[in-house]
Amino acid sequence: MSEKIVKIENLVKRYGDKLAVDHFSLEVEEGEILGLLGPNGSGKTTTINCLLSLLTFDKGEITIFGEKMAPDKYDIKSKIGVVLQNVAVIETLTVYENVDFFCGLYITDKKLRKQYVEEALEFTGLTEYKKYKPRKLSGGLLRRLNIACGIAHKPKLIIFDEPTVAVDPQSRNAILEGIKKMNRQGATVIYTSHYMEEVEELCTRVVIMDHGKNVANGTSAELKSTLMNRETIRISLPGKSEKILEGIREINHVYKTKEEGDDIIINCNGGEHNLVHILSYLTDNNVPFGRVSTELPTLNDVFLEITGKELRDKCS
Amino acid sequence: MFIRMFFYKIKEISRNRTLLGWNLVFPLVLATAFFLGFGNMIKDDPDAFKTIEVGYVNTDGQASPFSMVLSSLSKENDGIRVLKVHKFSDVDDAKSALDGDEVEGIYIEENGSVETIVPANGLVSTTLNQIVREYENGKVVIETIAKDHPENVMNAVKMMEINKSVLKEYDFGSNTSPYLQYYFSLIAMSSLFSSWISTSMLEGMCANLSENGKRFECAPVYKLPSIVAGILAGVVLQSISNGIVVFYVEKVLGIDFGIPLLNVLAITTLGSALGIAFGVLIGSLCKNKNLLVAIPLCFSMTCSFLSGLMWHQIRQMIEYHMPIINRINPAALLTDCLFVRATYGKTDVYYRDIFTMLVLIAACLIISAMFLRRRKYVSL
Ligand SMILES: Nc1ncnc2c1ncn2[C@@H]1O[C@H](COP(=O)(O)OP(=O)(O)O)[C@@H](O)[C@H]1O
Ligand SMILES: [Mg+2]
Repeated sequence: MSEKIVKIENLVKRYGDKLAVDHFSLEVEEGEILGLLGPNGSGKTTTINCLLSLLTFDKGEITIFGEKMAPDKYDIKSKIGVVLQNVAVIETLTVYENVDFFCGLYITDKKLRKQYVEEALEFTGLTEYKKYKPRKLSGGLLRRLNIACGIAHKPKLIIFDEPTVAVDPQSRNAILEGIKKMNRQGATVIYTSHYMEEVEELCTRVVIMDHGKNVANGTSAELKSTLMNRETIRISLPGKSEKILEGIREINHVYKTKEEGDDIIINCNGGEHNLVHILSYLTDNNVPFGRVSTELPTLNDVFLEITGKELRDKCS
Repeated sequence: MFIRMFFYKIKEISRNRTLLGWNLVFPLVLATAFFLGFGNMIKDDPDAFKTIEVGYVNTDGQASPFSMVLSSLSKENDGIRVLKVHKFSDVDDAKSALDGDEVEGIYIEENGSVETIVPANGLVSTTLNQIVREYENGKVVIETIAKDHPENVMNAVKMMEINKSVLKEYDFGSNTSPYLQYYFSLIAMSSLFSSWISTSMLEGMCANLSENGKRFECAPVYKLPSIVAGILAGVVLQSISNGIVVFYVEKVLGIDFGIPLLNVLAITTLGSALGIAFGVLIGSLCKNKNLLVAIPLCFSMTCSFLSGLMWHQIRQMIEYHMPIINRINPAALLTDCLFVRATYGKTDVYYRDIFTMLVLIAACLIISAMFLRRRKYVSL
């Protein structure tokens, strides 16, 4: 079994009366990209700040690289890279100087640092902007600079807190690809987001957080496999009748149908080739049908089923 | 790490245009405005008193006690001659002399009372009016003496010491004009503006104040040495900025502070350190980043106002009613220190001012260090 890089046990954090993190536990193994998925206000940032020893907390244990985390654990801190929710760069320094400044807090060797800084700029595609001041960068480039500042020192553990909020799709893809690449090069990643598509695409394992609690945990496929609904099929069926719907419901794995105008929506609880079975039933009975679509479940469905509500924002 | 931090802070601060505007450009502009307002009075205010040319019209036609006062003031006394009297027989002649700038003011004596005509406010007007006031005060005595012992009037006039009381206005020691105080207050203000440098520096190092602060506190570096490096960078830059202001006032505007340049620079460096230290204190106590600009600005403005930036007598008033404020107001200390050094040299008061400033700096830094040592925050 691989080593536990991060271990959070029963973390409780209150802001005054407000319970932000509620007996939250989490383990991250080496080489993972762990997605911390939850709607806004579910306590992701608070958890990250506790993990980094920026915040006090009321209860719980946090160990990183097998050691108890504390503000003065510089050996632990030196192996962590952080990319926080809001852009943190120095306005009066250029792109290059920003990366060099923050990298310099970790890497004191001048030559090595120069190499690292240049690699980070290359990696985030900022080399041609290195003389720019942050104010001149577009939103997406600024986010990339934010990332470059956090990862230039080649940390073993990288924590991203919603790095793609308000980023155009192109930059977003570049960022996600970058994270995958860093992971392939050996970094363990914790990635928080409220965009389930991102988490689904990127993360090897997902923890779903709601109201400060860890409500589900597993790979994306595992989480979906706990769902009753495994496939949603939508068929345009102008000449539908109750008899035909009855027939469809008798097909294996179909457990629910719903009418929506001319369309019917069919939920299946597993099995394969459900669409084929349904369509051949319709052809056999000479029922004409129009547009057909099928959807596999998403993490949104998982979230919906666990918490009874939608993840508020969808990825644009 | 320390040196790197120092140089990065130098870069960071020196490129901050807002800081540059408030800490350097604004004092330069204000210095120029002061110069346009009363620069000439400082320059004209020489080591020796400048004799006032005054017209005198006596319509009563006979030697009056006032004319004796005037002739007494026309004699050189302790190397100073207050008045040079031009006699006119006719008021219109005197007025045309005044219009032609031959005289700076006119006394008209009529029926035993004296009227003063002075075209502008300023030292001349103050002096001429003061002479009449002193004369009126002692009038009865002089008149009595004049009646009984006319030969003694001259002595009586001397004893009234009008001379002295007139010169007291100017008596700030060797060569310090009261207007110089405005420049000293100005330097104090610009020094205190540096409190803004340190609040903005702390903002970048404390997780509760900025995102940069969070990033900084996530890194494996000790906070206090970095802050000390930042403090040094701030003091160096503010001292340079103060040096430029001093140079501008002394060499470009040509206003002599009457203090050796190195000594001025030493005092202003101390002033910069004072401003920076207060800024560190403000930054370490303040939890709201929006106040990090507002508080230093208000603080510097208030302190400089109380030290006499807008009206130089306010410091004397405070000295009279609530001296404790002058003892702890950093701007007043700095102004006083410069003023005392220029006027009286390195006196006890000078050393007391310097000592108090050093104590304030130490106190600010020690209190801040206690607050800054806290490493985790309850809320971010
Ligand atoms: N400094 C704070 N003071 C009080 N409440 C806070 C503070 N920061 C966050 N909260 C509250 O704690 C909860 C969790 O917030 P946060 O950790 O920022 O969530 P997320 O990052 O998942 O959006 C929210 O309800 C938020 O309103
Ligand atoms: Mg958040």
